[in-house]
Amino acid sequence: MRPANDVQGRDPGASRLLVKSDLVSWIRRLMDDAEVIAPAAGAGGDLMFGPVTDPASVWLGPGNPLQPPKQFVLPQTDPIVRIERNGGGVQVSSISDERARVIFGMRSCDARGMAYLRRMQATDLPDDSYLRRADRIAVVTLACTTPCTLGFCVCCDAGPFARDGHDVQLVDLGDRFLAEGATERGRAMVADAPFRPATQGDVVRRDELEREAERHFGDESAHLGAAMRRISTRRVAEELWEAMSPWCFECGGCNFICPTCYCFSVKDRCQDHGWERCRTWDSCQYSAFTLEASGHNPRERRKERIKRRFFHKVSAQYYQRDGAVGCVGCGRCVQTCLGTTDMPAVVAAIRKGVWHG
Amino acid sequence: MATVLTTCPFCTCGCGLHLQADHGHLTGSAPSEHHPVGQGKLCARGWHAHEAPTWGPRLTRPLLRRGGEPVEVSWAEAIDAVVQGLSRILADGDPIGVLGSARATNEENFLAVKLARGALRTGNVDFCLRAGLQPLIDGVAEVTGDPWPPGRLLDLERSEFILLFEGDLAETHPRAASLVAAAVKRGARLVTVGWHQTQMSRLAARHLPVDPGAGHQVIPGLLAAVLDGGSADGAGAVAADPGLAALRAGLAGLAVGEPVREVAAWYASAARASIVVGEGALLPDEARDGAAALAMLAAVTGHLGRAGSAILILPSRGNQRGALEVGVRPDALPGGVPLDDAAVIAKLRRTWSREPSVVAGLDAEAMVAGCRGLVVVAEELPAVLRAGGGGLDALASASFVVVLDSFATATARAAHAVLPVAAFGETDGTTTSLDGRVQRVRECASPPGLARPGWQVLAELVTRFGLPCTYGSIGDLHREMTDLVPLFGEIGEGQLDESWGALVSRPATGPGVHLRTVDLGRRDPVEGPCVAVFDEAFDWGSDPSVAHAPTLCRDHVARRKLFPTGFVEMNRADADRLGVRPGWAVRLTSKHGEVTVPVVVSGEVAPGMARLPFSARDRVGVVLGGRGRAGVRVERA
Repeated sequence: MRPANDVQGRDPGASRLLVKSDLVSWIRRLMDDAEVIAPAAGAGGDLMFGPVTDPASVWLGPGNPLQPPKQFVLPQTDPIVRIERNGGGVQVSSISDERARVIFGMRSCDARGMAYLRRMQATDLPDDSYLRRADRIAVVTLACTTPCTLGFCVCCDAGPFARDGHDVQLVDLGDRFLAEGATERGRAMVADAPFRPATQGDVVRRDELEREAERHFGDESAHLGAAMRRISTRRVAEELWEAMSPWCFECGGCNFICPTCYCFSVKDRCQDHGWERCRTWDSCQYSAFTLEASGHNPRERRKERIKRRFFHKVSAQYYQRDGAVGCVGCGRCVQTCLGTTDMPAVVAAIRKGVWHG
Repeated sequence: MATVLTTCPFCTCGCGLHLQADHGHLTGSAPSEHHPVGQGKLCARGWHAHEAPTWGPRLTRPLLRRGGEPVEVSWAEAIDAVVQGLSRILADGDPIGVLGSARATNEENFLAVKLARGALRTGNVDFCLRAGLQPLIDGVAEVTGDPWPPGRLLDLERSEFILLFEGDLAETHPRAASLVAAAVKRGARLVTVGWHQTQMSRLAARHLPVDPGAGHQVIPGLLAAVLDGGSADGAGAVAADPGLAALRAGLAGLAVGEPVREVAAWYASAARASIVVGEGALLPDEARDGAAALAMLAAVTGHLGRAGSAILILPSRGNQRGALEVGVRPDALPGGVPLDDAAVIAKLRRTWSREPSVVAGLDAEAMVAGCRGLVVVAEELPAVLRAGGGGLDALASASFVVVLDSFATATARAAHAVLPVAAFGETDGTTTSLDGRVQRVRECASPPGLARPGWQVLAELVTRFGLPCTYGSIGDLHREMTDLVPLFGEIGEGQLDESWGALVSRPATGPGVHLRTVDLGRRDPVEGPCVAVFDEAFDWGSDPSVAHAPTLCRDHVARRKLFPTGFVEMNRADADRLGVRPGWAVRLTSKHGEVTVPVVVSGEVAPGMARLPFSARDRVGVVLGGRGRAGVRVERA
């Protein structure tokens, strides 16, 4: 747990106040300049992120949509290159999406996921297509003051209050929100009326809420540090991965709902006058993920793929490279796993050296 | 960006998913968190449902064959030509028929029935995959008196004991497999019956090995054990049944091994116990009797009719239960009611303003072989006919074939008229899951080119044959189905939208439980040093809606691309003994014929077995002589 912030040492101008009755008008103002994406009750009563048409429908209550907001920076099917017939040859042009957008009401775990993805896409060979889209997206998070059912963000240092990946963080203080601008763009978003300066008491209350929230998390937990030590020092028996493998149904759901998974495949979508080359989500749990054109598959067996996934998520090697574990503790894989090989279950197995299904 | 809630179109489990579209293209699928079946989960196919209509070659314009070549025409021209072509055959008094499909919605299938029995006045209406499903359903129904086997998919999760006849459940019905795994995690005992190792057999408390496709081999033993062992608690309920004595007598003296005895005791003593029959578990010849025997096992142990104890028959593909229920079958009317049901006939007459045809018609295989005129609604014959590509050869002798499909299939290429219709995600309708949940599928993107929703095209055809179909919307069509299909009559107003589809079932109409002797495993003896068998699981790679989407068609598992002309799977020990390595050719010789194919070495196949892909039956089927299995000699070629 992080030591409590020093209230005195913080820039008092960074914290602002928004009376809840002004929330709708603020969202409406954001909608003037950008597409605003927020959680709302969708078909079948499922909470989902989607473009806001009615600011009053934005859901800032408990719970987080099963589908993370990753799809707005990394769509499941993402056309990136247009290939058109041009006389005898072809013409190739890039497709970019630079819509101004605000993702509103995102939770801290997902903001950490966005930061993780951006770091990945921006380093080594920067991905221009990704960055052009992501850089136009402002993120307004809502701090978690009550724990969610399946989350374990405190184990991943990814919550319950946001550390990175956001422009503005809202903290629910009852009849008003404390709004913290974390970036220049964020501070500008909360600079003008109806926002007003926060009082010292509001900031003290905010810190109390954060400490309380951290205390209350913990029904679901993942001791990632212990798992990291074992997995990085080759102290996980091969039999453990073998024992796990019939409990995975290779659905790929753990990858698709994971806020930090970014692996993709490439497919060409046929159009009237050519093709669109699309980046599509892929799963490292699929047996064809590493299948080579020769027919050779370096990770043919499922146990090798499960091992690979968790090595990438929690090994020290990747922790050092990425500066974070590849898990934000959102708990979504616990719900969506068709089998039982979700993050907390596998981490517990790695730590204890036994698998119970 | 558009998002709609719809139902997964693939394996019949009926999971709910949110389908997404952007700029008119389907772009994503996500599980529905609150869906009662899916509960926020999807399998690999479900996660890629949006790809089904996206990657394959689509039909975008009506086509008429002129001078041997398909020519693009207007809708008006195409419909005129179809009406003329079919009318000519009707006028000549030649046989004519309609094929519905497990790939079509309930509404499309209902209109296929209306086209056949109402408009074309024929009982020739069927769908190809019915042949595999019907005997299993009938076998259970014969014992229980209920038209559908008892229980729900979700009963699996709470079962204390599960007897699974597979197939490869994790591959064919992943959501069902996941519910079985959840039950095992809770402490349930799982027993698998099969001839090769599978993912589920690795979770099982016991695996009962049987000959290829011969799951029926263990059933008499289980029955004998519960009847002998006094563990037939429920026998009281069936004690008065005159069939019980016959059943006992037929099993007298049967030697029952200890493992089977133990499994029988587990089944009989569990509070909630389910039986699951997956694809390819029972040979076609044994399917009806095998299913009947399983229902009797449930009856004599008191599990039949007990809440939480299910018998689940798993159809292989899409909307098979719905197709059966709305009447895509030559032997019954909509709702599966008998052809002589006067009340239903009167209703059909009144609603359609025409005397319906109530004669028994030809089944799908016979129709393809013998009808001069054929309307094919979304069936790709080489994929779903047992005759495989032979079905297309038979089609060549028909004088007028109309195909309604979304994809440029081999069947469409053989047609005289092709009518392009909307695919999954492009049209509204309903489908019925394996346990009878009628759920909506919804339009999320427009069909490409001039393609139209299938129900509208069928309604127009029916109208042109003199039965007015004035459906302003699919809701109007539902109202007619509510009136005519008993199952749909139970669906309350708004229920499809409010409660995740309607779970429907009909009360027993039969005379109650009926027991009889079982006669299993006396047919089709197999002799030979090695047993060759078809892998009967439905081959997703042959389905036009998934064939071009790599994740959906599972080509990497099926090895279809690597070995397009077929292969044989063998155990490593057998391959070593023959001195062959993966990819090398072997010759399989049986009394029916011989075939030379490359070897795939598989840990799943037991020594002495040779597994042949059903998808390559055109090429390798000769060695099996049209049967499910045969004794063979294997040599290095």
